[in-house]
Amino acid sequence: MNKFKQLLGVSGVLAASLPALISGVPAAQAEDIQQLRIAVKKDRYSVDPKKFNFTTRRPAGQIVETAVKPDENFIPQGVLFETWDYKDGIYSIKLREGIKFHDGQTFDAKAAIDALKLYDQGRSDFLQIDQESFDQTGPYTFTFKSEINSSLVIENMTHRGASLFSINGERAENPIGTGPYLLDSYKPKQSISMKRNADYWGDAPKVENITYHFIADDQVRLLALQNNEVDIVAEVTPQMLLSLPKDGSVVVHESRPIRYVALLTNLHGKAPYDTLKDKRVREALAYAINREQLAQVLFNGKGVVAKGILPDWMFGLGDKHVDGFDYNTQKAEALLDEAGWPKGSDGMRSKDGKPLKLRLVAAYPNVSSVRPMPELLEQMFRGIGIDIELVQVDDSGVYDDTYLATGEADLYMEFASNNNADPTYLLYNLFHSKTPWGYQYTAPGGKLDTILDNARQAQSREEVIELVREAHREIVQTKLAAIPILMVPNFNLSRPGLNIPMFEHADWIDYGQVTQTK
Amino acid sequence: MKQFVFKRTLSGIPTLFGMTLIGFLIIGLTPGDPIEMELRRLGVSFTAEQVEALRVEYGLDKPLIQRYFIWLLDLFRLDLGTSIASGRPVLELFKEHLPITATLSVLAFVSSLALSLVLGTVTAVSQRTSVSTSLYVLTMFLVSVPSFWLALFLLAVFALGLGWFNLLQFGNAQDLILPVITLTLGNAAVMSRLVRERIIAVMSEDYIRLAITKGLSRRAILGRHVFKSILPPLITNWAISFGSLLGGSVIIENIFNLPGLGQLALQAIAERDFAILQAYLLFMGLVFFLANFAADLTNHWLMPQLKEDDHGVR
Repeated sequence: MNKFKQLLGVSGVLAASLPALISGVPAAQAEDIQQLRIAVKKDRYSVDPKKFNFTTRRPAGQIVETAVKPDENFIPQGVLFETWDYKDGIYSIKLREGIKFHDGQTFDAKAAIDALKLYDQGRSDFLQIDQESFDQTGPYTFTFKSEINSSLVIENMTHRGASLFSINGERAENPIGTGPYLLDSYKPKQSISMKRNADYWGDAPKVENITYHFIADDQVRLLALQNNEVDIVAEVTPQMLLSLPKDGSVVVHESRPIRYVALLTNLHGKAPYDTLKDKRVREALAYAINREQLAQVLFNGKGVVAKGILPDWMFGLGDKHVDGFDYNTQKAEALLDEAGWPKGSDGMRSKDGKPLKLRLVAAYPNVSSVRPMPELLEQMFRGIGIDIELVQVDDSGVYDDTYLATGEADLYMEFASNNNADPTYLLYNLFHSKTPWGYQYTAPGGKLDTILDNARQAQSREEVIELVREAHREIVQTKLAAIPILMVPNFNLSRPGLNIPMFEHADWIDYGQVTQTK
Repeated sequence: MKQFVFKRTLSGIPTLFGMTLIGFLIIGLTPGDPIEMELRRLGVSFTAEQVEALRVEYGLDKPLIQRYFIWLLDLFRLDLGTSIASGRPVLELFKEHLPITATLSVLAFVSSLALSLVLGTVTAVSQRTSVSTSLYVLTMFLVSVPSFWLALFLLAVFALGLGWFNLLQFGNAQDLILPVITLTLGNAAVMSRLVRERIIAVMSEDYIRLAITKGLSRRAILGRHVFKSILPPLITNWAISFGSLLGGSVIIENIFNLPGLGQLALQAIAERDFAILQAYLLFMGLVFFLANFAADLTNHWLMPQLKEDDHGVR
């Protein structure tokens, strides 16, 4: 029997290879996968209505779908919505026809309105749709208004948290969506499994079953891949990249660079954290960073020199509106001399007996994500005579309350990215003086506030993008509220032979389309 | 005996209350706003008004002391509160996570107890032999290495190298073998040092030397005199060890991916999930209190001639 099976297997392989042999195409072909196992760090699965909102981020994002998704430039592209229009404060929506929920219910205008109304029950109603404004204008068309007269509601619908559920069924136990997968089993903090939805309306997924394993420890995620217990590691730290085996048994997949490493500067600090109020000192810091060297040393050499904190490809921004800073220690030293910080005999600078000493806090998202970048920067700044007090904090609560909210630091190193299709999202939340994230000391205020307010109120996308360019330049070039260092890709690890359709936003990597090269 | 139990229980009540109050204050004064942290983690826009509304909803707008008394009143109704991060009752989460931690700790405790007695006795009675020296060096090594290193080493050897175990957990009894070994080795090494020191100290007592000169066998001396004499301090130490195992399984649960109480607490610290942290502190305090209580009772039962002060009761 076994020999018969082997014979069948060999015949199958030969039969499958025959067309390739005849056509002269290389034999390597992609094939569908029966079972895909993915290691992620945390169990983020929750559709609990008592929670802040219906968080259906990866991995449950395969079960329910959003109205729109970000395209390759982070511009909304239709999923459940076929077309949309925004005019005179009214959104007009046309749904894609022929879509059904997993329970067979038709996804029509009434179902879409019901699904969107669920968000008003969420504790963080970030869509902020005027609930009284829904108006069904046809079986598949409806209109609504924004509560705050925003033209960016559709952009915010690209967030996985805005996925559209059927109002039928119990969401946590049996979430009913329109997605390519159905929930198979869920073991809290251990794993979640999904099986292919045979009646999916879109392109059929290539993977039959997907299981996400939640593995908190970074090294254990890597060991699980090496031990063939998972096929993909979806959350990769710089330390994991440094400890990869050299035998080719682990393959690194990368997106385009999207995550920025930058130093946010304290613009309103009280003494002794008021040194960076002088723009010349901020500029000196920007010129003292050897970005090329950092790009070669860190992140597997995959980082690129950053001119800003938003990548040029995002929203079609381009990079002509920012100039960046080259590595020029002579210019940096001249700026510090001009600012009245002469060098002493020990090579360190001081003014009226006060040493030029800056506190650099490295904390976000955690120290291990950026190490050894803070130490390397410390050396570069010492090279131009600036003494650095390095503070490394591994707790975001301590970082927020002890250093950000109090302004008791000069520089804040952050490794983050804009994962939102709303072009104003990152710049507003980080740099508007009414920032809800607690960055009051690094927000320039004044002109930038006006630009960002105008961007959020602008009624056309072109106008929004132009204002975002202006705000971005103000932040990274004119005011130097942020000193950009590197742009870094998202990484996945796998065993050889897997083809992962990488995407810059980790929530939008479509693991259902992973294939195996024969 | 009844009086002893009564006195010991009475003395425990203010201890537990004091502990909950201090715990509440420490957690409440720790930097970090749970609402803002959660909303920022979700990556959605929010306004200061939304944050304030949520703070009111979770009662975080009230003064800390008022929150403590509300929590205390709820506690008497067996309501441990609701997790901010998951929206689920804390009691329900504890029921889910406690069995794994309890099983892990009990197994590690029993095996480290047995191993420490063997190691401690062998290294004490056969001093200056190669076996004793090797075992002593081994225990010193195990005391010195961090548990996370030992855990990763065992995974690399037995899971990755030899393929005897899986790295992923599937809820089988086999999943607990490596975590139990990791906890046992570190804990047994520490405990065995105390066994060794106590045996060496008692063996130099005059009455033991007299027994030796009378020709009593080593086994009889150890069984009849030495173990009986070293038990009270060992029992107290074991009680503390059991509490430490329960609390110290945090890192092991994280590495072996076991959804126990330690992992729940670790996540709660990162998310400032006050309700879970407060319940965890209360639970750990209770465990230490009950373990010490059990140790005192056992000592009292074994050696009723000891004064109450010897058990720490004043």
